[in-house]
Parts: sequence; structure tokens; C-alpha cells
Amino acid sequence: MTVELKHQMKPHATPDEVARGRFVSGIRSLILNDLAADMRSAYDRRAVPAFRKANGRDPETSREAHEALRGDPAFNIYSAMRVQAQKMVWASVADSVEREADRLAAEAARVAAEPGGVELDPALDVPRNVHAIDVHLMPGSYTRGADSLEAGAVYDRGLAVFSMGLMGANLDDIGLSMSQYIRQRFPDFEPRRILDTGCTIGHNTLPWKQAYPDAEVVAIDAAPGPLAYGSARAKMQGQAVHFRQMCADDLAFEDGSFDVVWSSMFLHELSKKQRAKALAEAYRVLRPGGLMLHMELPPNAQMGAFDGFYLDWDSYYNNEPYYKGFRDEVPSELCTRAGFAEGDYFDFVVPSIGIYGEQAVAEAAHGDRAEAVGQQTTGRLAEGVMWFGFGAWKR
Amino acid sequence: MTDAPLRPDDAPPSLYDDQGNPRFFNDPGMDRFVAVVMALAQEVWVQEERLLALEEAKSGAAVDREAKVKQFIDRVFAPVRGA
Repeated sequence: MTVELKHQMKPHATPDEVARGRFVSGIRSLILNDLAADMRSAYDRRAVPAFRKANGRDPETSREAHEALRGDPAFNIYSAMRVQAQKMVWASVADSVEREADRLAAEAARVAAEPGGVELDPALDVPRNVHAIDVHLMPGSYTRGADSLEAGAVYDRGLAVFSMGLMGANLDDIGLSMSQYIRQRFPDFEPRRILDTGCTIGHNTLPWKQAYPDAEVVAIDAAPGPLAYGSARAKMQGQAVHFRQMCADDLAFEDGSFDVVWSSMFLHELSKKQRAKALAEAYRVLRPGGLMLHMELPPNAQMGAFDGFYLDWDSYYNNEPYYKGFRDEVPSELCTRAGFAEGDYFDFVVPSIGIYGEQAVAEAAHGDRAEAVGQQTTGRLAEGVMWFGFGAWKR
Repeated sequence: MTDAPLRPDDAPPSLYDDQGNPRFFNDPGMDRFVAVVMALAQEVWVQEERLLALEEAKSGAAVDREAKVKQFIDRVFAPVRGA
């Protein structure tokens, strides 16, 4: 199903556009559930035995699972259809964004005086990984339309189709699930200042303002257009968030000035060098007692070969060049290299609050956390999705 | 968007065609053919929704489009299941 956006910039789509979006959500569901299961079956029936015959053992890594499956009919059809469906996501919303550019600008202007705001930095050298590649096959990437509302609108509307309803009614399931988990697990923690890094349109920023309404929430990204859109979107939803154009690996904030540094699905978009710097910056701007928290894809070290390959697929075929490199790293080591003490690291899996409900999140926060990372539903945008997170306290 | 596309360090060039697009089938035409079939199915569904709208107007009974599109996709793409 395609999600209907919950703010005034939602598309006034034609019936044909609605039908196209519905089809794309439906075909993605077929690919990510049914064809994915077919590919797993083919892996067990054909790819593993063939690999075993050639190598005397089963595939042991994501890379070897990939090698084993390349050329298999189930891999071919899954992959070719998934690439095309991804292109269809963005194509299904492009016309309405172009047609409604003036209306979007008028809607944004109408809420300009509401609390919150956006501060762009025209002098910022936008990194190559943000502008020089069509990230997840989105034409023009995050910088299409420069600082206009275009990129944000394409992303927001595209995500509504892409998510198949699995990212929540406001596309904020990750932020809601994670912030509620933290509130439940650490009830005495009362952050006063929260920073979201790599926020795009702030869809997973707003839940932190909802979870901690007295906190000041700041959200940064390198791309200007999504920030302008995200600021208007936040104001339309009555959330006072301060958006600023900035790179996560070069924060223009003072040492010890935040209680939470958060990101969602962001670290895998950075090169290894950028990622290390971003984590070091997070450590620097946290106050003692502050929390760094990232929602991300689970690491390869905690998954089997096939499940690791399944997530790494995006790195090769969905214009996510740093995806696998990130998943090959060990989150705890990333944190200790950034300055956090080894004993202050933790990781966890949160059930999607939209699918499993608030009680399930509460039970996860209070229950046994030494499981679930390796489960098939962890990190996969498919039926029954659960979110992986890791973080560390600064002492 | 760039002359030197960003790719994973360990990605063999054979994963892509000479224009940088992922390739999966031995015959590169098949990758394009899959895209054509999917686009065609999408446009048939658009026409199906137009018909559903007419039928709803005539009967006064609402149709569950989410259930209908799932049935449609399952029917059209049944031949690729179990590959």
C-alpha cells in the first residue's frame, strides 16, 4: 500500500498517478517478500550445492553468497525486477512534484512564521556521495532542484510508495520505535538538546521531539533542498525543529553541547573515512552522560552469509556504494575508535512499533536483548520488519 | 551524473553494462525486457483502476483496490515464481 502523507504538501495526484503508485508498492511487496523467498530457496537448492562442489564448503560470507547466486535464475529475476521497481518508485511521483511546484512553495510560505526554521549554508561544499551519484536510483539524488522543495518532495512522496506502509503512517516508524525504546529502557534519561545527523527531510527527527517535547531538537544534512522541505513539513505538523545545512563529519557546534546525537539509515551513506570522522564529531559534541544512537543495517558479522548478502545487494545494484563497507565494519569498534569506552557500547533490535505495537517495544526495552540481530526480519523492509540500533554513552 | 561512478570497492566491472547499468541476464536485452513487462503491467493496472471507478459509480459499492492490485500482480507475475 502507498502511504497518504500527513501534511499539506501531500500530492494532489491524478487517479492515474495514484494507480501507478499503488502498482509500484504492490510489485515491491511481491519482490521483497515472495521473490526474496524464492531466491532463498534457490540458494539452498542450487547455489550452495554448486558452491560446495567447487570449494569443498558452504559460502561463509556475504561476498561468497553473492558469488554463489550470480547467474541463478531466481537471483536474476529478483534483481532485474527490483532495480526496475526502484526506478518506478521515483518515476511514479516525479510528475506530480513538477506540476505542483508552485503550490508546494505556497504551502511552505504559509507556515514560514511557525516555530522552528532552516538555516542553509550556500558556501558548503556538498560531498560527492550526496550529489555525484543517484543514491538509491533517485534521479538527481538529494541535490536535485538545488535549494527548492523538489528533492524533498520527491523523497517524501517516493518513500510513501517505496515503504509499502512498513515505515509508518508518517514515514516515521524508525524514529518512533527507537525513541520509544530509549524512553522505556532509560526512563531517567531526560535529554535537553538532541541532534539528528543526516536527517534528509526530518521524518525520523520529529519522533524525538514527540518523545522529549521539552528538548531542543536540531537536525542537519548536507543537501539543502530536503532541509527546506523538512522544515516546512515539521512546521505543518506543529513540531519546532531547527534544520541546518552541515556535514556530520564537520559539525559547527561546541564541544559538549548535546545530550543525544542520533541518525537513521545514514552511516552507510558515508565513506569509511567520513564515517569515522562523523562518529568522532558525535563524541565531541556530546555532553558527559550523553547518548550517541544510530539506527542502521545490522553488521555482517552478526548475520549468516545469505542474510548478509541480501542486505548487501543494495550496495552493488541500488547505488549505495558504501553500504557493504559499513556492514563489514563492527559497530562496537567504530564507537571505541571514536572515543567511547568499550563498556558503554550497546546494540539492540526494536520491533517496528507500527507493526508490533507499543507493548512489543516496551517488552524489547525491558527484556533479553541478546538475540534477534540474526533474524531474517531484522533490517529488511519486508513483512515483520524489525530495526537494528547501536550506540554508546559518553562518560 | 559523474564520469567516475561511485561503486563498492570489490564490485567486479562485469556486474554492469558499458553504460554503468546493472546487468543480470546473459542477454542484456532481457534486463530491458523485464523493465518493459513491468511498465506494461503498470499501465494495464492503471486502466483496471479506471474500470473499477466506473463500476463503483455504477454499482455504488466500493472496491478494495489494495486487494485487487495484489490479485492482479500475483496473477500476472505467477510465471516468475519459484524460479
